[in-house]
Amino acid sequence: MAGQSDPHLSIFSAEEVEFIAEDEMMEIVPNMKMDPLNLICGDFGPFRPQIATEVPLWLAVALKKRGKCTIRPPQWMSVEKLTQILEAERESPREFHPLPFHYVEISRLLFDHARDDIPDVYMVRSLIEDIRDVRFHKVETGLETISARTHAVKLKNLSAMEVNIVRPFIVRALQAFYKHDSPQMIPQPDTIGNRPPQVADRGPRVRAKSHMPLGTLADTL
Amino acid sequence: MKARSVKLKEAHKNNGVSSFCSVLWDLQAQHLVTSSASDLAISIHDPLLHSKPPNILRHHKDGVTALALSPNSTCLASGSIDHSVKLYRFPGGEFQTNVTRFTLPIRALAFNKSGSMLAAAGDDEGIKLINTIDGSIARVLKGHKGPVTGLAFDPSSEYLASIDSIGTVIYWELCSGKTLHILERIAPDTGSDISVLNVLSWSPDGETLAVPGLRNDVVMYDRDTAEKLFSLRGDHGQPICFLSWSPNGKYMATSSLDRQVLIWDVDQRQDIDRQKFDDWICCMAWKPNGNALALIDVMGKFGVWESAVPSSMKSPTDGASSLQSKNSNGLLLFDEDDQEPSISGSLGDINEDDFGQAEPTSRKRLRKQSEFDEKLDEDSDDELNLLPKVESRKKASRNHKESLDDGNMKLRSVMVPGGPKMQEAFQPGSTPVQAGKRRFLCYNMLGSITTIEYDGYSHIEVDFHDTGSGPRVPSMTDYFGFTMASLNENGSVFANPCKGEKNMSTLMYRPFSSWANNSEWSMRFEAEEVKVVALGIDWVAAITSLNFIRIFSVGGLQKYILSLDGPVVTASGFKDELAIVTHASHCLPSNDQMLEFRVFNISNGTQPMRGRLPLTPGSCLTWFGFSDEGQLSSYDSKGMLRVFTNQYGGSWLPLFSTSKEKKSEENYWVVGLNASKLVCIVCKPPDSFPLVAPKPVLTLLSFSFPLASSDLGADILENEFILNNLHLSQTQKRIEEMAAAGLDTTSLDDEAFNMEAALDRCILRLIAACCNGDKLVRATELVRLLSLEKSVKGAIKLVTALKLPVLAERFNGILEERLLNETMGTTACPNSNIDASLTNEVEAHKFIHVVENKIASESAIPLPSPKFSSPLFSKKEKREESAKVVVEKTPNRTVVVENIKEDANHVQFRPSNPFAKASNNQEKSSLFDSIKKMKKTRPRSPFHKIEFILDAALIDPYIVRIWVLDGQVLGAQPVNRAMYF
Repeated sequence: MAGQSDPHLSIFSAEEVEFIAEDEMMEIVPNMKMDPLNLICGDFGPFRPQIATEVPLWLAVALKKRGKCTIRPPQWMSVEKLTQILEAERESPREFHPLPFHYVEISRLLFDHARDDIPDVYMVRSLIEDIRDVRFHKVETGLETISARTHAVKLKNLSAMEVNIVRPFIVRALQAFYKHDSPQMIPQPDTIGNRPPQVADRGPRVRAKSHMPLGTLADTL
Repeated sequence: MKARSVKLKEAHKNNGVSSFCSVLWDLQAQHLVTSSASDLAISIHDPLLHSKPPNILRHHKDGVTALALSPNSTCLASGSIDHSVKLYRFPGGEFQTNVTRFTLPIRALAFNKSGSMLAAAGDDEGIKLINTIDGSIARVLKGHKGPVTGLAFDPSSEYLASIDSIGTVIYWELCSGKTLHILERIAPDTGSDISVLNVLSWSPDGETLAVPGLRNDVVMYDRDTAEKLFSLRGDHGQPICFLSWSPNGKYMATSSLDRQVLIWDVDQRQDIDRQKFDDWICCMAWKPNGNALALIDVMGKFGVWESAVPSSMKSPTDGASSLQSKNSNGLLLFDEDDQEPSISGSLGDINEDDFGQAEPTSRKRLRKQSEFDEKLDEDSDDELNLLPKVESRKKASRNHKESLDDGNMKLRSVMVPGGPKMQEAFQPGSTPVQAGKRRFLCYNMLGSITTIEYDGYSHIEVDFHDTGSGPRVPSMTDYFGFTMASLNENGSVFANPCKGEKNMSTLMYRPFSSWANNSEWSMRFEAEEVKVVALGIDWVAAITSLNFIRIFSVGGLQKYILSLDGPVVTASGFKDELAIVTHASHCLPSNDQMLEFRVFNISNGTQPMRGRLPLTPGSCLTWFGFSDEGQLSSYDSKGMLRVFTNQYGGSWLPLFSTSKEKKSEENYWVVGLNASKLVCIVCKPPDSFPLVAPKPVLTLLSFSFPLASSDLGADILENEFILNNLHLSQTQKRIEEMAAAGLDTTSLDDEAFNMEAALDRCILRLIAACCNGDKLVRATELVRLLSLEKSVKGAIKLVTALKLPVLAERFNGILEERLLNETMGTTACPNSNIDASLTNEVEAHKFIHVVENKIASESAIPLPSPKFSSPLFSKKEKREESAKVVVEKTPNRTVVVENIKEDANHVQFRPSNPFAKASNNQEKSSLFDSIKKMKKTRPRSPFHKIEFILDAALIDPYIVRIWVLDGQVLGAQPVNRAMYF
């Protein structure tokens, strides 16, 4: 019960994750002329008509909404790349394939605001949904195997949104296991509970400290 | 043998109705063309890649009943139930013209061997002979009593044989248009069933004509006498509906209404193979270069029967070429054996004369499609082989004249160069015609003009890249068929070439905004054709086929007409300037285009530049225009960008080369350029030009000189060095121009200063590279090129750090030398800090003298106020202004003036932040005051030592000691700063 009441473990809302994802850089093709924008987060531009430039996703969406640019969908958002990834995901039930950390959010934002800029948008959309479903199914089947003997969960290449969804459950489940399994862990629930929920950008993972030998969930996934 | 059955694939949906379908190979057997009488579309298939969707041509409004391909495979003709005969480019499939119309459906088409004439016939009464060049009707042959269903030119183009649906065959003599023989009802009467058409075919050697007979057989008739020679009779149970000779004339394929296809050995008069199908085959074509037969049945399903002739027998193409050569040297049969092999070339030439109009156009068509260049050669070779057949008979009858002609032919063949062709006129930024797709008439840095052709009219759109500020231009329906256009901020100009007599060449100008209604205008040209158009700030130019430059005002006033001395290649306009490229002469045998450019200034009526336009050997011009700054530039098909410079008496600098780019497999389609970048559209290889959709994105590429690989290994730096030098010289030239025009050059001065700084940084890095590479002489040369004193100091520091004392010493020498030069020099260069400030000091001395003189003479006037407001100084004002500019650039400056003899008089003046007040007048005046004070307090001493501590913006502060004798600088020496602090 220790984790459940801990406010630090509460997840980001989907909007918050999306907000973070809006800082990803995106290539746009402006159709207007504008001097460089000097913002706190950096300098973007100059904007010249029909010449591609890189801006954060939030700026791209803002410009797109005003009809000032077209967004160039990222490389991975093509039907062939996604088909490859989907096949690879289906073929390997135990591991996740590398995708951009914010792929769910980016694709969502682009589908919402820049449908006309994505070639084969229906196909791309259904492929991304399929990939998301396949991956989440993998996460779920993997989590089913969490048992008292599991002391850590290692999930490579999990994306922000996916990790955000499973984080509270995994952390609490593990904590519950520790609590019931190892009496010596009970005196220090704080050390577990106070662990910041943020995940490192390079590899989302959920880990609990333990003096016992680590068993990885990835093996069972 | 019969185990292999031919699989048929549906090409046309006939909806269960049997209808006549056609199939054709092209010359190289790279394409297979099919059509059906119940389908509007013509399909061009790739016989090798079945998965590839066919290229579909939908131009007819009703089913296509007849197809014909010109012998060199560059032109496809189709006839339809909609009564029209259309011509297309092949294999691209671009629609060219409606060459003729009938009042009833077309049933048959045929090209003659040279492709200059097309025969078309159908349910109408007459057979039309059409000149393919201009679409004029050469002759109408009337004589058939029923619908004509089959046409065949004999291979020597002397006769035309035709057959109608009631079975009558007529031999026509082409030169007179008379009937030679009428063979009535020798073929089956097909009645009103339009899915069966009587056909006939000449053997490839032209000696026999094959016609389906009345007894389910094929009957051969003699070429000249039209006597029945023999027949092929066998297992056909029903009348023959199609027949086709193999390319060598040894075999024949026949199909019958009994759904069988038989292959015959014509010499043996024996059938050698057969195949049965679900439906009867209504058209067949032998592969021109292999043992295969293409078939199509009445349901629109087609297939290829591979090895139709059993492999144990001679190939159906075996001997085809020898047959052709026999024909081309048909003389051999009749003439003496003195014909050399080389004569075939000259024969080609005579044919070129005979069909003079035909050939250039067919070549023209080819030339447009550069990817078929290779084919061009083959095709023209084939033409050389095929065409002479035309002559054989006539020659036979006129032996004597022949030998005379031969002499002439040989002469002519020497005179007329064969291979290289002069480049055609083009509009910069336009893309070639693509069937059914929108294409660019004009694409530049501002926007684009696109067009798409529908049946009989086009739809034109003008788009600006900058949708925010560009005007919105409504789209336009174009009934002229514009193929040339140009665009600038104020308007667009269009022009179309002339097509036949009715459709004259027209020039049209549309302004984007005008205070008056209906301010667009158009001009028509009789017997003249617009080749290229260009637009400028207040003028419109059209260059025509008569080599005229016609210049109009934007209101449509015809202002000037000038004559050019060569056919135009392209033209471009920028503000006042019109640049034109023309052919200087026929191109060299090495296929080098000889081009000439000239630039006209329209408002002044001058021609500031003219000269030869350089191209990479073997290439042609693909883009020509001005950079954003107005520099004339060209780009050739080998990917070399050149920019015109006034240096060296006007030369072209190669500024960019595709081959030097890393990703050389990409094609760059140039749009424009600015001072430092090339703007282009990157096209992935099979394409060499962009498509309208998806909207192309511009890419910026850096310039790179085609530098030799230096032993220094600092290519990037060297490139940067040359580029910076170029930019600097361009800027300085502009400053001079502006100054001459009396304009304010301050911003340009700043720009030039920044460039100098950038150039110095680059040179310093190059010096470092030279020192590391042990190229000390080169390093010394580089030091001399540094423009800022500070940079020289930096270089000295650098070599000291690199432990090269010899070099440091030399650099010191150079520095002293130049300081001396600069101070001695009376003209101040406003771009050099130290120089100007030194002059300033010298100036100050003189100034003080002046002031003192003034004071002496007019003692009533009070001492000048430090504000410099006194009219006394008006004389000097200009000088000071120039000084001001300089002072602004050296934000921190400390001047130390001291007297050598009297150390006690050591005056040190050091404003802590002279520009905090935002006015340099005060600083200046205080400086002058201090000098003045010094002068006053101290009697004239012969030697002054003035020392500057200059904190320029870029490098560390340094100190120079200068000895001045009565205003004259004797020497300068760098000193250690620590001495004074």
